[in-house]
Amino acid sequence: MLTGFYGIIYSRGLPMGRWNEPGPGVFPFGLAILLAFSGIMIIARGEKTKEEKQEGKRQELLHKLVTPLLIVLLTLGFILILERIGYVASVVVYLFILFLGVCRYKFLLAAGMAGVFGLGSWYFFVKVLGVQLPLSLWGI
Amino acid sequence: MDILGNLLAGFQTALTLHNIYLCFVGCLFGTMVGVLPGIGPLAGISLLIPATYGLDATGAIIMLAGIYYGAMYGGSTTSILMNIPGESASVITCVDGYQMTQKGRGGAALFISAWGSFIGGNLSILGLMILAPLLANFATRFGPPEIFAVLVLAFILLGSLGSGSFFKTMPMILLGMFLGTIGMDPLTGSFRFTHEVKDLYDGIGFVPVAMGAFGVGEILTAVEESLVRIIHKVKMRELLPTHKELRASWGPIFRGSGLGFMIGILPGSAHVLSSFVSYAVEKKLAKHPEEFGTGRIEGVAGPETANNAATGGAMIPFLGIGIPTGPATAVMMIALMIHGIRPGPLFISEQPQIFWGLIASMYIGNVILLILNLPLVGIFVNLLRVPFRILFPLVLIICLVGTYSVSSSTFDLLVLLGSGVLGYIFRKLRYDLAPFILALIIGPLLEVSLRQSLMRSAGSLSIFWNNPITLTLFGVSSLLFGWNLVNTLRPKRTWKKALEEG
Repeated sequence: MLTGFYGIIYSRGLPMGRWNEPGPGVFPFGLAILLAFSGIMIIARGEKTKEEKQEGKRQELLHKLVTPLLIVLLTLGFILILERIGYVASVVVYLFILFLGVCRYKFLLAAGMAGVFGLGSWYFFVKVLGVQLPLSLWGI
Repeated sequence: MDILGNLLAGFQTALTLHNIYLCFVGCLFGTMVGVLPGIGPLAGISLLIPATYGLDATGAIIMLAGIYYGAMYGGSTTSILMNIPGESASVITCVDGYQMTQKGRGGAALFISAWGSFIGGNLSILGLMILAPLLANFATRFGPPEIFAVLVLAFILLGSLGSGSFFKTMPMILLGMFLGTIGMDPLTGSFRFTHEVKDLYDGIGFVPVAMGAFGVGEILTAVEESLVRIIHKVKMRELLPTHKELRASWGPIFRGSGLGFMIGILPGSAHVLSSFVSYAVEKKLAKHPEEFGTGRIEGVAGPETANNAATGGAMIPFLGIGIPTGPATAVMMIALMIHGIRPGPLFISEQPQIFWGLIASMYIGNVILLILNLPLVGIFVNLLRVPFRILFPLVLIICLVGTYSVSSSTFDLLVLLGSGVLGYIFRKLRYDLAPFILALIIGPLLEVSLRQSLMRSAGSLSIFWNNPITLTLFGVSSLLFGWNLVNTLRPKRTWKKALEEG
């Protein structure tokens, strides 16, 4: 619904053109109206039918959210450092924190696996598949 | 005769050592992504796109298609042996397949599944090589109004056949189309919704959105659960089915081939739908339907044949008129476009060596897959011994590098992550992701064809009902829309509910 309202407001600033020459704003404007309308419909229908959510279930849901949220934040960190410190360094750090913090492996095992998989993935992607990845300080 | 001559030429292309090798790599990789839950054919194809840069277009599409149909073979293995569907199209196989394993008939279920997939796959390629050129020939008459009418029908079909309700699927389609409008307007060159962010000038990339929604979203959902896996071992001599099982499988295999092929042509989650429909049909036709769910071979043979037959069907609109009907075929289209080839009505006549080479390679690939999936099944199952907490970080790396390799842009990685979160939320809310992704790809074509039609008719809407093709297509679309509207306002026992019960 919010996307729909955003689309309506933004596309009003785009040229609408005429019937014989529709402008770039017509299609997104029409879509945004339909999107906002369907959003309202979903909210209206949802309020009627989904009132049985209990507090206990919400707690369980929040608990389940921790791991996905952690993964999202770590992946965001990986994306932000990738081009700054290069692929090998960033992937080793990323995998190490994932194995240690999310997968609960012991420190040394997490470090070993991060090193092996990090370097192994670099070899597979760069040497076997020929993918261009950002270089780290030591040239790989 | 023309078909036979073209097919022979296709075999000459496909039977070179280089192309056989690429077909084998695609089938092997496809089986692996099919076996592993969390990585589907979409992620598999996207990942190998960079590996095709150094290949010619024929070799590239042969390898990528191998992943696509190979994943359908591999998906059944985990469903039968572990009750975990490796692929969404194999969900229904768990019901009777796993029961057969518990009764010690898992080997026979695997054999029938692979045999049915082989027959279904080959019959659907036969249908593909006959129908795709006919459709392409017919589609050369299509102008913007006809394309617009086809796409409107495709979207309404998507809404009707999606796994959610019509009014839950339509917002996904609208959202996908809306995201597709971001970037430069193809007709006037003006920028829309870009907010002066240069990375948005070319629009939102399809690969990061698809890999994020399907790959990362799947991982985020899966890490919530702790996956305890019990792996049943299968010995070679257990693979042979009994005479009774073989006799009982023939009917479901041929019915599954026909159903899967026809449903495969429709847009959306055709593989999933075809396997569910086939299961429901077999249960309906059975003398003892109450035995379904207790380990009936028909419950494995029909659905597994149908989801493989759907791959051939799904290739028809993609190769015949250049409109992909699923995310996997859409990524294959992107791969062809990277090589400077755009599938469309003229593709088969202008690039016969690619089309017929692909067809021939699919026959070869089916033989390779039969060999890979029967004697070597134990090797693939061992892949599942890798703990999930080691597997999921590697799958995340595959998604991240797969996306980065296409555009070398960290912005696309942010789109991947955002789409992953969106995919996770949609899964939680039980929204179907396939319509969203498809709308993102074919939405821009819908807009351009609508605007070009109006320009051609000087603003008159009559262009949409002036010729019999558009009139028929809009007629069918209106009827379907009306049927969905009635079903939503007066909910009854729909076929979807019947299928769920099945």
